[in-house]
Amino acid sequence: MTPFEDELKQALQRQEPAADFTARVLARCAAEETKARGWFGTWRLGAVVAGLLIAVGGTVYQQHEREVRGLAAKRKLILAVHIAGSKLQEVQQRVAESAEVDQ
Amino acid sequence: MAALLAATTSIATSSTGQEALPAFAAAVDLHKAMVYSIAWHFLHDRLAADELAQDVFLQLHKNWTRIQSPAHMVFWLRKVATHRAIDAARKRKAQAETSLEETDEPTVLERMHDSFLASYLERMVASLPEKQRSVIVLRYQEELELDEIAEVLGMNVSTVKTQIARALDLLRGKVSRRLEEGMDNDAI
Repeated sequence: MTPFEDELKQALQRQEPAADFTARVLARCAAEETKARGWFGTWRLGAVVAGLLIAVGGTVYQQHEREVRGLAAKRKLILAVHIAGSKLQEVQQRVAESAEVDQ
Repeated sequence: MAALLAATTSIATSSTGQEALPAFAAAVDLHKAMVYSIAWHFLHDRLAADELAQDVFLQLHKNWTRIQSPAHMVFWLRKVATHRAIDAARKRKAQAETSLEETDEPTVLERMHDSFLASYLERMVASLPEKQRSVIVLRYQEELELDEIAEVLGMNVSTVKTQIARALDLLRGKVSRRLEEGMDNDAI
């Protein structure tokens, strides 16, 4: 190391910050933690609310699906009864016609 | 050293929060001069250096569980402090452009005070271009080897060598000019 570099090393010696530096750092860390915990609380509440909404929404949706399926089944049944009725009428008519022919 | 060992032993065992705070406090006490001095030699502003050093330790607190050993902590702090100091110096430079040539000569009172050129050299280092400033601070304040500086700054060793040589040339030139002026003044 040259004398100039020695001089430079001397000039760039470490310096201590203010005496209360550590205390101030710790205070800031504690404040940050409190803030983070606050945020965590908010997030937790948000998650619970979201969970409830999903559960209620799911139940409502299932109920709606059941109603839709029920209506469709009812419509099919009515259609089937109509078809069966008309077929029965047709058969009755044919039976009556063949009875007339026999007489 | 015992404090540091105690601090890092509990780094591994404790999570963040209240239980890690005493160990963290010991680490701050142990390394505050290093972090603050890196900031100070970059910014040459006590308030800004203090704030930057605090921010570095706040970041350490957030990353506390990731620190693996005392050596890792020192490396981490040097790296974060240097990079934050470079960023802060860039912001300040954008606000008020200064260069080595534009930096004011010390006053007569300062000349009397810095008989060993220390304060003058400090000011000159603070006005070096940021790459040169980083390598000079890490080399002469932190006394790091070239490969260690290269690791902290993410540079090649040859780039570090070049930057140190350029910085030393600039500083030597400035100092010899100052000495010549001093001799001229004495002759008058």
